[in-house]
Amino acid sequence: MSAPRNNPGRGRGRPIGRGPLTRRQLLARAGALGATGLSLPALLAACGGDDGNGTAATTAPPGTDPATTDAPANGGGDELFFENWTAYIDPTEDGEVGTVDRFVEATGIQMRYSEAINSNNEYFARIQPVLGRGERIDPDIIAPTGWMAGRLINLGWCDPLPLDQVPNAANLVEGLRNPTWDPTGEYSLPWQAGFAGIAYNIDITGRELTSIDDLFDPEFAGQIGINTEMRDTIGLIAMSLGIDIENLESFDDAAPAFERLEAAKDAGQIRRFHGNDYFDDLTNGNFAACIGWSGDVAQLAMDNPAVRFAFPESGGTSWADTMIMPAGAVNRDAAAKWMDFVYDPEQAAQITAWVGYVSPVQGVREALMDIDPELAENPLVFPDDETVAMTQSFASLSDDVEEEYDAAFSRIIGA
Amino acid sequence: MSAPTTTRGKVARWALNVYAALGLAYLFVPIAWIVMFSFNEPRGNYNIVWQRFTLDNWRDPFSDEGLTDAFVRSLQIAAISTSVAVVLGSMIAIGLARYSFRGSGPLNFLLVLPLTTPEIVIGSSLAALFLDWDVTRGFTTVVIAHIMFQVSFVALTVRARVRGFDWTLEQAAQDLGATPFRTFWTVTFPLILPGILAAALLSFALSIDDFIITLFNAGSLSTFPIYIDGSFRVRFPPQVNVLATTILVFSVAMMAIGLLWGLRDRRRNR
Amino acid sequence: MTTAVEGSPHRADGGRSELLGLAALLGAGLLLAAVGARWISGPLVPLALALVLAAVVAVIWTAVAGSPESKRRIAPYGLLKPGMLWLALFYLAPLITLLRSSLSTRPSRFAVDFTFDWNLGNYTTAFTDFAPQFGRAFLYAGSATVLTILIGFPLAYVIAFRGGRFKTLLLGLVVIPFFTSYLIRTIAWRSLLADTGQVVQLFDTLRISGILETVGVMDNGRVLNTPAAVIGGLTYNFLPFMILPIYVSLEKVDPRLVDAAQDLYSTAFQSFRKVVVPLALPGVFAGTLLTFIPAAGDFVNALYLGSPNTTMIGNSIQDQFLVQSNVPLASAMSFVLMLIITVFVFVYSRFFGTEDLT
Repeated sequence: MSAPRNNPGRGRGRPIGRGPLTRRQLLARAGALGATGLSLPALLAACGGDDGNGTAATTAPPGTDPATTDAPANGGGDELFFENWTAYIDPTEDGEVGTVDRFVEATGIQMRYSEAINSNNEYFARIQPVLGRGERIDPDIIAPTGWMAGRLINLGWCDPLPLDQVPNAANLVEGLRNPTWDPTGEYSLPWQAGFAGIAYNIDITGRELTSIDDLFDPEFAGQIGINTEMRDTIGLIAMSLGIDIENLESFDDAAPAFERLEAAKDAGQIRRFHGNDYFDDLTNGNFAACIGWSGDVAQLAMDNPAVRFAFPESGGTSWADTMIMPAGAVNRDAAAKWMDFVYDPEQAAQITAWVGYVSPVQGVREALMDIDPELAENPLVFPDDETVAMTQSFASLSDDVEEEYDAAFSRIIGA
Repeated sequence: MSAPTTTRGKVARWALNVYAALGLAYLFVPIAWIVMFSFNEPRGNYNIVWQRFTLDNWRDPFSDEGLTDAFVRSLQIAAISTSVAVVLGSMIAIGLARYSFRGSGPLNFLLVLPLTTPEIVIGSSLAALFLDWDVTRGFTTVVIAHIMFQVSFVALTVRARVRGFDWTLEQAAQDLGATPFRTFWTVTFPLILPGILAAALLSFALSIDDFIITLFNAGSLSTFPIYIDGSFRVRFPPQVNVLATTILVFSVAMMAIGLLWGLRDRRRNR
Repeated sequence: MTTAVEGSPHRADGGRSELLGLAALLGAGLLLAAVGARWISGPLVPLALALVLAAVVAVIWTAVAGSPESKRRIAPYGLLKPGMLWLALFYLAPLITLLRSSLSTRPSRFAVDFTFDWNLGNYTTAFTDFAPQFGRAFLYAGSATVLTILIGFPLAYVIAFRGGRFKTLLLGLVVIPFFTSYLIRTIAWRSLLADTGQVVQLFDTLRISGILETVGVMDNGRVLNTPAAVIGGLTYNFLPFMILPIYVSLEKVDPRLVDAAQDLYSTAFQSFRKVVVPLALPGVFAGTLLTFIPAAGDFVNALYLGSPNTTMIGNSIQDQFLVQSNVPLASAMSFVLMLIITVFVFVYSRFFGTEDLT
């Protein structure tokens, strides 16, 4: 653990309400009240152990060794808790056993898997007040996008991963070792990677789309969706304007991209800004085209062949969502077993077969040959050199510059 | 009303009725959609394009685990918050309706305020308070928030019901030797009970349905509306329609029972 | 007899306990609000809470041990107290906190605690950067309110005067939409209004798309993600809030009055205008508040049915608070929204109001 944190060992992982207090917890809270003097907020804080969050941590009596009020290092929870993006793992359905259930069966570890992440910023706003106070959030593992993981690591809100217990971490592909957001590679292990490009419904467009200019074509006025993930949207537009997005340093570097987006919005070109919620609009034809993610479109196209994905001529952006452990996560051993499990190529191939994204695990392609040979040849899932050459990843911005980017972007989104 | 005699009057009367009927139909368009699509067999993740009729969704209303969890959690929140709010709110209503006292005007005003404050202001101000208190938002904070808006609602609804109440009955019972406690339970309570039950039913529904205030105070807690909002980005399973239709049918049944009960009482009193 | 009671010691006792009750209620409420808003802090907090407790105990004590007259006088305060204290702590205190947070600065971008430094900059930003969202909020809410009157008044009128035996049933039908989730109803409209949805098809079949295009309801053959869709959603969702109060007002009107008016004024329209409308005004007034206020702060309709150019202030508050985590700015916008609405309610009550707000 990076820094000692006070974690009252609540029974956690119970999805509903609060369970009964144990005597030790009750005593810990009573002590907390006595030590801080009775204040109403503290009283409520002490009583409000919602979903087992460590809300009483700030009021822990001075001089109490956290270890004595804490549960045993690895037994604080009885259930491993992974909070991930929606539709990002193979579920148990249609006679197939999903990865989570296979893991539970293989290890006997109970696991709670939740699809609570819809947007990096929204998720950050939710965990920030808790982690920022030095308290613990429920999940043991979360999977934000690389740049957000970098922010959390820089803020000291992450624990290093127990990589010594994850032998399969050696299977991490070369290209994702020591990424910009985690130069030492000790805090994060990628979950899936992918590309952003143009997703379109050929029934509506009537033609193949090949460039970002197509998104701004007046022919599609009011039928274009634009992604709220700033790095993908601004990244793609900037690349179409000939800007090198891997080396952005100031706001001015990308200013033309912002101007282009704002002009399109004012002209009524954009129907809606979307996060990962563009599937229905794209399949129903409310969107002619939008900025989509490669794996999503691969999934969508199975149901609806009219939905296509293309890299713009000027290139696409690449990114990775990565597993990190928020500070104070209690189930370290179980988390290590999980990471080891999903870094086994056989298991990772099952996930890839379902999500259609780029797996960070070596050997998946070989394993996939048996499951889904067609997918194993898909350059969006196993990018060849040509595909890699077509993509760039967004520069890692300094805090101040990032704030300028975010402010300008959220002003255009206009919410 | 006397029937209009002129043809023009008849046409106008007919036109107004049709207009009103259209207005009523407008209210039911999305309701019909919700019920109808609970019988749809969707292709893909979104149950928003009609494919074909099936009863499968009704056979398996709890197949979406996250949705079921969220639904149960919403029921729990509503049960707890409604119980507390009904007690607090009914006490206020009886206090306001039964007695005239100094300061009742301003207190009345304070009671109305939460109902005339936009939900987003209530939600954001409570969230700001919990942030300020360093309280992690979750189950407890949602219950607190719900009780807050329910108290006002219950108090005003119950007060409206007990306004016409004949409080001399209480006096009569006490004159006959009943203790105040007995008077309350045997005379007052049965009379105001229908009003309290109606208020409880409505505020229960308000709690389950609340999205804006809850969203601000839920933290990572997922309630029925929050889960639907979150998952709508990637799917909209027919089970949502099934559960929504169930709530609808249940509420309508409760309302019908209430109405029949009221009719029976009226007949008996005649 | 009366003079005897007034002169009795019990009477004076009762007056005292009334004062005690009122003082205890107001004092405890204010103290609790002040503690909640952190106006009182540090060692004073236990003292304040002890005072609140003392006020509660004093009222209970009087209610249990006092004379019959003082019991009667203190009873209402005792009954009101728990609920009112709840509102003091979770309605008043949050508003004070909201105001303070709106005048605060974030020391750093990811800070959890804000510095209260009378920073008016949040308000400047709220007015300069978010003026269009404020404008749209009130424009859309106003349009929706007018539409709910146009649809709701005739409906309430027909139910009240022509409902006959079916009055209760019809009223029940108006309430039923309440019992399906607000969010799901809005999602239903999203499907109905989609480009390939039933509403657009209906418009095409009726061949009124052209007209609707001209009046601005449709945009390039689309309804979804236009201002019309947002206003339509608001109208739909708040329509019952308009129908019910109007109905309550109309129900009090004696139908014979309308008949008499018809005899007097000879036309149905005149009798309607001179008799029914004035009597229904309290209902319209209440309905307007119940519709306009929540509609102005709504973000669900704009989120599901709107476009980037139809966002309302609710969307901005939600975004700044729950996505950008700029709580001070969100608080400022929230506070401004509340102020504008309060002023609106005040002015509106002065011009059209009745005493009977509730």
